Amino acid sequence: MQQKTVVHTHKPIGTYRYVQIILGIFFSAYLLWRLYTVLIAHPAYGPDTWMRFAIDGIVLGSVYALIAIGYTLVYGILFMINFAHGDVMMLGAFGGYFVFEALGAFKVSSSLSFLNAQPVISVILAFLAGMAVSSTAGYFLEKIAYRPLRGAPRLVPLISAVGASIFLENAAQLLFSTQRWDYANPAVLNRGIGWNIRVGQGTVVITYTGVLTIVVSVLIMIGLYLLVKRTRLGRAMRAVAENKTTAALMGIDVDGIISRTFIISGVLAGAAGVMWGIHLGLVYYYVGFIPGIKAFTAAVLGGIGSIPGAMLGGLFLGVVESLGPAVLGISFQLKDVIAFSILVIVLIFRPTGILGEVLSEEKV
Amino acid sequence: MKRHIRNGINAGITFGIITIFLFMIGFTTTISDLLGQLLQNGSSASVLGFAPGRFDLLVFLFFIGMWAGISGSKKTPDERESWGTVLAASGTAGLIHGILVGGLVLLVGSLLKAGVSMTVYFAQLLPDAIHLFLLGLNATSGALFYVVFLLMTGLIGGAVARTIRYGALGQNIAGWFKNKWHAFTAWPQYQRIRHNRPALFVVYGILILLVILLPQVLGQYWNYTVGTVGIYVLLGLGLNIVVGLAGMLDLGYVAFFAIGAYTVALLTAPAPHHLMWSFWVTVPIGILLAAFAGIVLGIPVLRLRGDYLAIVTLGFGQIIAVLLHSDELTAFTGGPKGVAAVGSPTLFGISLGTPEGFVYLILLGVVLVIFVTIRLRNSRVGRAWEAIREDETVARAMGINTWFHKLLAFAIGAAFAGLGGVIFASRNQFTGPEDYNLMVSFNVLASVIVGGMGSIPGVVGGAFTLKGLPEVLRELENYRVLAFGALLVVMMLIRPEGLLPTSRRKMEIKEIHDPDEKAANGTSGGTT
Repeated sequence: MQQKTVVHTHKPIGTYRYVQIILGIFFSAYLLWRLYTVLIAHPAYGPDTWMRFAIDGIVLGSVYALIAIGYTLVYGILFMINFAHGDVMMLGAFGGYFVFEALGAFKVSSSLSFLNAQPVISVILAFLAGMAVSSTAGYFLEKIAYRPLRGAPRLVPLISAVGASIFLENAAQLLFSTQRWDYANPAVLNRGIGWNIRVGQGTVVITYTGVLTIVVSVLIMIGLYLLVKRTRLGRAMRAVAENKTTAALMGIDVDGIISRTFIISGVLAGAAGVMWGIHLGLVYYYVGFIPGIKAFTAAVLGGIGSIPGAMLGGLFLGVVESLGPAVLGISFQLKDVIAFSILVIVLIFRPTGILGEVLSEEKV
Repeated sequence: MKRHIRNGINAGITFGIITIFLFMIGFTTTISDLLGQLLQNGSSASVLGFAPGRFDLLVFLFFIGMWAGISGSKKTPDERESWGTVLAASGTAGLIHGILVGGLVLLVGSLLKAGVSMTVYFAQLLPDAIHLFLLGLNATSGALFYVVFLLMTGLIGGAVARTIRYGALGQNIAGWFKNKWHAFTAWPQYQRIRHNRPALFVVYGILILLVILLPQVLGQYWNYTVGTVGIYVLLGLGLNIVVGLAGMLDLGYVAFFAIGAYTVALLTAPAPHHLMWSFWVTVPIGILLAAFAGIVLGIPVLRLRGDYLAIVTLGFGQIIAVLLHSDELTAFTGGPKGVAAVGSPTLFGISLGTPEGFVYLILLGVVLVIFVTIRLRNSRVGRAWEAIREDETVARAMGINTWFHKLLAFAIGAAFAGLGGVIFASRNQFTGPEDYNLMVSFNVLASVIVGGMGSIPGVVGGAFTLKGLPEVLRELENYRVLAFGALLVVMMLIRPEGLLPTSRRKMEIKEIHDPDEKAANGTSGGTT
């Protein structure tokens, strides 16, 4: 690990470089002009609104970051995109949903349900349930759909992953119907309430759910960092990511490590799913699909295979997606378009991402 | 013995979960209905003393239980397995299967009796479905019944498996079919027809005549269905070039379909622009625009391979879908309402706007596209695509201009989709954002994969199975997409080359699945 050899198997082609530069100048000029228009020439929003957008973006970004880490962990080890990761998150969200429903129905006294009597325990239980469901799903996903395909041509596991994603999504649709379920939070965590802060002429609400989301995701990320850097399992994971054959020769159970990687990424996805439910309030059978793609975008943005990159990329994407429509002056319906455009732009200009781990042709 | 029992437990748990899942998604009820229609069983049910639905359910569960038994007794490496071990394994599988299903029955049955409405959370757990599953018994005896029933079926399955695998009868049956097939392919007349050109022309002539006459005979509904399948064949053939020949996984394929459809709709419809052009003029425009979009999408993703490409194209498909759904473009594309009264083609004063007319048009399109695909595949371009698919670096080293050929694959694939879209919009006389969701991409992908990547008969067959079969089995409509997902995974696991693979593709996949290759591939992945 001391010296990193940079492999340039792909020689950049001249014209492509020029296209990159011209497009780059064009994009940045347009962005600067829009920023000037929106902020100075014709200020459309006050500082309170901007702050609200930014807070929304950070909260959303921390959820994306958790999902993105799941992509990155798996990619770092198997060099494949776990396409069904978003659907694993959806299953976790449903796990948390059912815990809340069950605890809400469980009465402690005549008027008080367990959910409102013990909100802390309820939330912890919901997170645990979501993580358990998602990690189980991730484990079996790997075991059934990916493990038998090790060493097959790259397209084969990818198609299998797409199939698994379709399967999970439709299984959830058939089980839970197409309805959008309302996440019944404990009363203290009602959506929309929080600390009111005066900014300029208006007030900004820092919601409790948002704070919970950020705090939990930071805690989980710290835990993951310690796991990867300090434990035997983490060392084994890094070894397998570096070179499977050598790791196997060193006595590491490669298949077992891959399984555990899927379990860990499932845990993160489950937590993200429960956060999604608590903060945004609706779960349905394809709730994981769009966040899944966006989290992948975040992982690419940060440099796929790099864990800090995925965290940064997630936060960045959340903020950009939240501020983007206002800055560009387009409809808020089109915020998904912004996320996907970022993906395309990153892949044109810097396929290695922000914290660029080198993507040699072998990996891309 | 221990290993047999463990196999049995594994199979029992797997099948228990499968049966519970099938029950939870309501599949057991649907399949019972379907079996009921199939068996026409007023009489047989009364003989056996079951109400109709229950009998059909039991027939279905009988097969599942047998399968569990067969699967539980499998995978025993020693050759001389005795009846005892087989029955022990399959019996364990059946017992575990029965206990899991019985547990579910007990739980669901007692919840129903307690008056808990489970439909609130699980849409398919209707009281009727549960009553059917309980077979009119109460929860406890129903659970016991299932334990015994599934244990019995498991044992039967094990016995059947043992007989087929080792008994003289099973060997004979399998051998008989094999011999017959070999006899047929070696049949002198068959061989002579295969290599006799005039005879082939006669056969093809009869086939073409049949195809021409068929739309006249079929009714409105069937013509429409055949037309839909035909459009999916068009799409499949286009995707086949991108995925099957050039090896680039494109998940946003529906975007090009939408571009073709919207081009013809906006140019011929009276509503948003009042251009009212002729259909024939818009066909090439739609195709060219789709091809152009293919190139535009292709340029940024050219340097990417496999997985990245899949996500970027997926994102592109989503962008198109979001744009079509949003209100931003209402003035231009009609927004969420879509475009109505799309023009239909006329030829020498005869309107082709009938279902039969469109069947002919689509057939013409399919034949054209097949012709182009065959010519391209057997040309320098086709070989270049296959080289790129196998190894891009090597292909470049061989002097192939990979940029040009990848863009060409994208453009041609998109053009075919554009043609499909043009016909689709004109046939429906309407186009709206709902028609171009992601499921279209996945449907087409599934038909390409199932049929066999790169193989033209495979794509045609795949489109017929995946799009035509669900039209026939209307009851199973709900489970179609679920089955697609499962099918993609299962195909990759057991037959990645597809059902009707090209001979070259088959060789490639077989080669890579070789154990030596596997080890070699494992090492190359992890070097940074």
